[in-house]
Amino acid sequence: MSMNARDMGKKETTYEREPARRVFSAELRECRYQFKEGDDEKSPTFVLLPSGERSNRVFCVGTLTEKQRQGDQNLFYRGRVVDPTGTFFVMAGSYQPEAMQQIAKIETPAFVAVVGKPSVYQKDPASSPLVSVRIESINVVDRETRDLWVLDTAQRTLDRIDALAKGEGNYVAKAKEQYPTLDPAVFRKMAYEALAQIKM
Amino acid sequence: MDYSDIAERISRKFSQKNLTVDKAKTETRLRRLVDEFGILPSEAERSVTRDLEKEFNISPSSTTGGGGTGNATESKKIADALPGDWVTLEAKVVSLSTPLSPTIAQSGIIADETGAIRFIAWAKSNAPAMTEGSWYQIESAVVDDYKGIPGIKIHSGTRIKELDTTDPLIPVPVQIADLRIGVGSVRAKMVQEWEPTHDRMLQQGLLADETGTIKFVLWKEPGKERLVVGSVYSLFYGLVDEYNGKLSINLTTATVMQEEGDIPTVSGGEAAIRGAIVHIAPGSGIIKRCPVEGCNRALSRQNYCPIHEIQPKFIYDLRIKGWLDDGEKTTNLLLPRDVVEALTGMTLDQAQEIAENNPLGMDEVFLRMRDKLLGRYVLCRGREIENRLLVNSCEWVTFDSGEHAALLNRAGGVS
Repeated sequence: MSMNARDMGKKETTYEREPARRVFSAELRECRYQFKEGDDEKSPTFVLLPSGERSNRVFCVGTLTEKQRQGDQNLFYRGRVVDPTGTFFVMAGSYQPEAMQQIAKIETPAFVAVVGKPSVYQKDPASSPLVSVRIESINVVDRETRDLWVLDTAQRTLDRIDALAKGEGNYVAKAKEQYPTLDPAVFRKMAYEALAQIKM
Repeated sequence: MDYSDIAERISRKFSQKNLTVDKAKTETRLRRLVDEFGILPSEAERSVTRDLEKEFNISPSSTTGGGGTGNATESKKIADALPGDWVTLEAKVVSLSTPLSPTIAQSGIIADETGAIRFIAWAKSNAPAMTEGSWYQIESAVVDDYKGIPGIKIHSGTRIKELDTTDPLIPVPVQIADLRIGVGSVRAKMVQEWEPTHDRMLQQGLLADETGTIKFVLWKEPGKERLVVGSVYSLFYGLVDEYNGKLSINLTTATVMQEEGDIPTVSGGEAAIRGAIVHIAPGSGIIKRCPVEGCNRALSRQNYCPIHEIQPKFIYDLRIKGWLDDGEKTTNLLLPRDVVEALTGMTLDQAQEIAENNPLGMDEVFLRMRDKLLGRYVLCRGREIENRLLVNSCEWVTFDSGEHAALLNRAGGVS
């Protein structure tokens, strides 16, 4: 009757891969609420975007401005990826050997595309929460890819804000409850300013 | 998860015996087993059925032989044979398969004009061997239920008599959407071939008609032939089962007849997806394929083909497997050689040169292609079935200032 861990893993094999959400750093930075979907130990963890969508994976393109190797036993890299609205804090640890090798060989500054898992953490109970992205893969790209990402992300952000205004979507109510003081107009302005930074 | 279907099935099972089951209670029990204890739904169904049988003080439906002595043997048609019944049938052996265990003398499928069902004859039963294509009267066999699929068990108390019926018995194939767990016949087109995931597997892939798609599998057995992508088949007496809520059909037992012509299939149309490539899967880049006529499987690095073993005279090929993501949905991509060459600018000859002369070998080709593709925006066109896109053409997306202006208007328009 009982199930062992391996069978549970098998059960997961027909899952649908979570899409990588397009979100500007200025929005991701505001995430405070994260939750699990399902009671399983292996259930994915999501952060709740203030614009009213869940995200357990993000795709972002920006400039890797610095990277730092840290730790002795548990080697890991931290980096900062800058988009037109702010900074994504990214990291790759020994559990992501491929991501670590990828970031190790990139020379800053460079345009990079990052696929990774966002999470909210606090250094200590007194400090304010931070959002970081655990890298699944990172690759050097060109400026055009960065510009395409800004268009893509602006469009997806506006789509989410519109859905939020109409009250459509499964996570809209939760976002309003979790982020009562955030005004969606801020994110519309953010999208506009990001677009305006691209040369015509 | 919704348990009403399972509860309904259980309730039906008992109503056959004139017993009434509280469906709400059954659902609660199922939910508790699955949600709280992480038990697979199929296991939970069996467990709840057992408990109810105990409560009603009736013998478990899946005992073989001795258990159901109280049940009278009835002359039945296959469509009416339900788990727990003792039956006498007149049926034709339409398929024989290799028994999976030495305790089984014979296994296969029998059919009459109402349907078809799996059977096994226990070695202990000393039943006479039946011949494929002949009709038999099978007296006092037990119907049981193995993994949700009904089957006939021939035991030592079963009497078998060959009949001189020569009814050819042509099954009527149904459409994919109408297939149910058990034995099924279908007319469908083979639309995709996937890599076998087991040494004993001959082939797996996808069948389609205009009502849907279903995964199929063919296990290695003498005389079994692989299906050809794009061909239409009448498939008689496959075994349909369910895993994770999805049906699949095992054709190892089936009679396969290739048909002339073509049939319409779902989502056979072109799909175009624009997005970013967010993952390049292992097995991308330059690969080696099995040179045996009609095989073409990808070999392992040691040149091992799951069917034809070591093949030193392999054929090189290019392909990319990965995920394309538009921010809302992720689609599995498969890019064949010509698309890979056009997109990466690396030809098969160049890739082979690198694979044979670079110290990193084939990995170098993978890394160069990954560096070129990962994180880039592309527009892929191809056939999408079951969330996989078989790509015919793939192009880089370029910056469109019209799109830029429109988005600026949209973002600045209302605030």
